[in-house]
Amino acid sequence: MSVVVRTVTRVILPVALAFGAYVIMHGHLTPGGGFQGGAVTASIVALLVVVYGGARLKGAKGWFAVLEDVGALAFVLLAFLGIGATFFRNVLAGSGGLFGAPVPQLGPNPGALDTAGTLPLMNWAVGLKVIAGLGSVVLLLSLFGREDG
Amino acid sequence: MTALHVLTLSLVVIGAALAIWFRDLLASVIALAGASLLLSLEFYLLQAPDVAIAEAGIGAALTAAIYILAIRKTRPKEEE
Amino acid sequence: MKRWLFLAAFLVLVGYLIGGGIWLHPFGVPARDEMDRYFIQNAQAEVAANNVVTSIVFDYRGFDTLGEATVLLAAVVGVALMLRKVKG
Repeated sequence: MSVVVRTVTRVILPVALAFGAYVIMHGHLTPGGGFQGGAVTASIVALLVVVYGGARLKGAKGWFAVLEDVGALAFVLLAFLGIGATFFRNVLAGSGGLFGAPVPQLGPNPGALDTAGTLPLMNWAVGLKVIAGLGSVVLLLSLFGREDG
Repeated sequence: MTALHVLTLSLVVIGAALAIWFRDLLASVIALAGASLLLSLEFYLLQAPDVAIAEAGIGAALTAAIYILAIRKTRPKEEE
Repeated sequence: MKRWLFLAAFLVLVGYLIGGGIWLHPFGVPARDEMDRYFIQNAQAEVAANNVVTSIVFDYRGFDTLGEATVLLAAVVGVALMLRKVKG
């Protein structure tokens, strides 16, 4: 595409990546979560594919496949963590370990990143899955019908 | 507050109508993305920020990108 | 004939939509709010997450999210199957 589009893409790329990572990482504190942040990040992949062409991103196809599988497996394994009580039991919440701190106070509070048990991990798993899934859909569509696809 | 809702929803309807009305498919996709973005603003006004972020990411960016990629592979004008 | 049929269907649909808009349930006043109140009062203490929506999505209603993830996986696999390279 034109040099204007390429320059604007280079400018907004880090900002949008940071926003997507923020939405995924703070899914248990602020609005958003794995799916929303993954959609934001996957829209960056779509922007790159539209602006620079899919052929230059062809090497990412295998990575996307691996990330999709890792996300799906991590999600199911995190759900199996609580199988002692029931599927999807949040065993890490309030346990004092990883992400195990209680909320600072009930009611409105600024929140701490180290809370909510398995929720942040599941957010990351679903986020990886959504980034890889939607990104590979866009990439495959752009590579369709090419000789080098 | 009600006036803001009415304005946003009217703009959504106008964007959707423009998306149907345009003969140039690229302009049609841009109008659809604009309608989607305004719809996400309406979700935000209805105090559903989660849905608003998802709508902005999926509806305004990803769908438009997929349509643009599809238009590139086919004809850019609507046929009679 | 076909045009009149389409016009009648269109008018019926418009009437339904206008009626739905007129007799819409008032916003912010749910008909039954037992579950809403339970989530709002207990989610923060039980799941230790500030975002009640996320605690519903990933904890209370985790199976829904599992289904959603499965739908996404199925969609991606379908696209990859449809757009694969065919030999010959």
